[in-house]
Amino acid sequence: MVESLKDKVAIIGIGCTKFGELHDKSLSELMAEAAFAAYEDAGIEPERVEAAWLGTFSPGFGGGKASVTLADALRLYGKPITRVENYCATGTDAFRNACLAVAAGVYEVVLVVGAEKLRDRPVRGLQREGTHPYLEAGSTPPGLFALAANRYFHRFGGDRRTLAKVAVKNHRNGALNPKAHFRMEVTEEQVLAAPLVAYPFGLYDCCPTTDGAAAVVICRADRARQFREDPVYVKGIGLAVETGWPFFDPTFEYIGFPATVAAAAEAYRMAGIRNPAREISVAEVHDCFTWTEIANYEDLGFCKKGEGRYFIEEGRSALAGDLPVNPSGGLKSFGHPIGASGVRMLTEIVLQLRGQAGARQVKNAELGLVHNLGGPGSVACVVVLGR
Amino acid sequence: MAAGKRIIGPGDETSWVLEMIGITGHAVYLPRHRIEREKIAAAHGGKPVLEGERTAIGFDEDALTLALEAVQGLDLPACGGIYFASTTAPYLERMNAALLATACDLPEEIAVADFAHSLRAGTAALMAALDRVAVGGSEPIVVVAADVREASPESPEEQWFGDGAAAVAVGREHVVAEVKARASVSDDFLDFVRRDKDERITSFASRFTVEGYCRIVGRALARVLEESGLRPSEIARVILPPMDPKMMARVAAELGFRAEQMQETFLDRAGMLGCAMPLFLLSAALEQARPGDRILLVGYGSGADAVLFEVTPLIEGYVVRDPIAEQLRHGLRFPSYERFRKAREYFRHHDEGPVLSNVFYEKEEVRTIRLRGTECGECGLRQFPPTRICQRCHSTTGLREVSLGRQGEVFTYTVDWLAASPMPPTVLAVVDVEGGGRLYLQVTDVEPSEVHIGMRVRLTLRRLGAGGGLYHYYWKCRPEGRGDG
Repeated sequence: MVESLKDKVAIIGIGCTKFGELHDKSLSELMAEAAFAAYEDAGIEPERVEAAWLGTFSPGFGGGKASVTLADALRLYGKPITRVENYCATGTDAFRNACLAVAAGVYEVVLVVGAEKLRDRPVRGLQREGTHPYLEAGSTPPGLFALAANRYFHRFGGDRRTLAKVAVKNHRNGALNPKAHFRMEVTEEQVLAAPLVAYPFGLYDCCPTTDGAAAVVICRADRARQFREDPVYVKGIGLAVETGWPFFDPTFEYIGFPATVAAAAEAYRMAGIRNPAREISVAEVHDCFTWTEIANYEDLGFCKKGEGRYFIEEGRSALAGDLPVNPSGGLKSFGHPIGASGVRMLTEIVLQLRGQAGARQVKNAELGLVHNLGGPGSVACVVVLGR
Repeated sequence: MAAGKRIIGPGDETSWVLEMIGITGHAVYLPRHRIEREKIAAAHGGKPVLEGERTAIGFDEDALTLALEAVQGLDLPACGGIYFASTTAPYLERMNAALLATACDLPEEIAVADFAHSLRAGTAALMAALDRVAVGGSEPIVVVAADVREASPESPEEQWFGDGAAAVAVGREHVVAEVKARASVSDDFLDFVRRDKDERITSFASRFTVEGYCRIVGRALARVLEESGLRPSEIARVILPPMDPKMMARVAAELGFRAEQMQETFLDRAGMLGCAMPLFLLSAALEQARPGDRILLVGYGSGADAVLFEVTPLIEGYVVRDPIAEQLRHGLRFPSYERFRKAREYFRHHDEGPVLSNVFYEKEEVRTIRLRGTECGECGLRQFPPTRICQRCHSTTGLREVSLGRQGEVFTYTVDWLAASPMPPTVLAVVDVEGGGRLYLQVTDVEPSEVHIGMRVRLTLRRLGAGGGLYHYYWKCRPEGRGDG
């Protein structure tokens, strides 16, 4: 059995840029802004960083496929930097790898940066790279998740009105968040009246493409209090990779994502969590599309398979519910710069655990969960943080 | 066989005596899209030259994809070769018939040939197939003709042409229409022409053109009737490919036939289908034929071919999977003339698809176009694309390559407005195919509102992209049940 990461690594600094259409900022500027905010929050000088992990999916022109993107942005030279790319789970997987290095005792203080700039691309939606020219022709991210949503409805019932409730909740939370891409509330009627993107998803069922960066500074848990009074500890991390082509898998049921189930099982095992619905205080989950959040409730064990619609309909995931989900506004409202999102979710949970989340603060947050889901539900990473 | 024995073939020293040679199967394919001639005429501020509507390709279709649909409609268990006839084949250098054979997942040891450059290409291919069957092996040769001809906007031909394909199998076993006599004449007469640099036909339609048609067809008919010893009145059905929608009655009379002997031409619902027309009308005649009927087929273009068939008793047990009437009944009308033109011209203006190597083609695309998957010897799971490790039981032994089914059922789907497409939305479906295996396919020729979980679909090869000097074909699916449900 794999050893547990529990209480071996602590987050001592966080930084996050404003998310949105940041037409006047480059990827380098965004990374520098997030990293220096995290240094300041940790109370360290840049030189204190011994190694760095960069999570970015598509860094664009120049330095594209290596870690030089981060080295040049931060002038962080002569140190080990690793670039991680793992679909939309890129940010949390970069964090996971950094945690493994710290837990191994190789480094004491490590920087993790997730960053993406999607709004300077010449395409609508997410520019896809590396997909098969024929076998995946015509597929889009909303289309891939819509395949699952339609099958789920066929199996368990529910419809676009169920989905709209997720959009309404996450926009309401995002409106409270000064750094969110969209700071506006929407009504169920607006959501249902919006143009269709990929049935059953309309415009408000889809997260936006966004520019943004986030960073965390982590260190060995036994040194954390040298840096601050209120470090947040890593309780468990799980990563699971399933097929990248579920649509060719005759056994794939299209009612949820086994990758999430497996990643959560690993993270819960490390953290010693037996009843996630009761033990977890707050969660940031991967709501790339409204239906995904409903599937996540089930796959993360917040409720039973097929009952996710009641979890949203009964208000259990609302800010005032018994397990608030996506208090930040989620990908839906906060925005989704691919590589940045996972790291950004970590910063939100850290704020919640420190009690610094302002208007969207969840009461008595003890244990928080971060969940990233990449590809057509292929790659999932779950992180449990606690005080 | 009721139709008796007869020597056909070279008659050389081996003196083969063949039981019978003729048509052993027939099928047509009309693209599902239609445009009313009034819509075309209105776009140009004129009146329709002919009532009704014409068939028209969608943006992802061409002569080759239509031809494949027609061949698949034959449901042949085996085949010794494919002869492909078209004046509008997608490749001018590369054997289109070889690509068809690949898509039919046929073995490599077969005969393939392209016939082109004339509206007579369909019957020219048929003549060649009859010759080959006479001297060759026992497996039938498939003759398939397809055309998607281009006429100038505002021309009468733009309205009365249609797109379509027809296929017949020619063989010696299970013959439903035996060949009794045939004749050909060559004549470099000018009616429709297209040079190497032209995208559209030039028409010489006039009264003189009709006269030429009567003279040339008359000569071929005279020869075939002479050979068979029959009089025009003894023919049940005469198939003349129309060269001008208004001339047919006159031509029949001039050649000595009564109106009721003439095969209906479907011009009001389909149009003139180029070199596919003779075989299309042959299929129509066979759908209605009774044992003993004599059918006289004419192919015309720079001369004429004439073939006399006698229908055998086997016609009564022959099942047409997707009859013409059913195909005509289930059209999808283009909302506008502009959409009709866009569908025809899309790939003429869009060549920015992926540039792929011939290594990729050989290693991957060929297997994909053949629709090969893997079957696990341990757990029996069929999977796609081909794999070395079973997706379910992870076995690495006993895996074998198999041909996957070409019909299936929608497991789930979406209607996607974000996917880049010349005609959004794109309908995508996860399809479980008959016999096992799951595919991810675009659904084409469909109203999005028709699509639902459990919908029966049939696989159809379509143009997916163009780039690097190639058209790239991949499977899509379309609703089943025009007549084959």
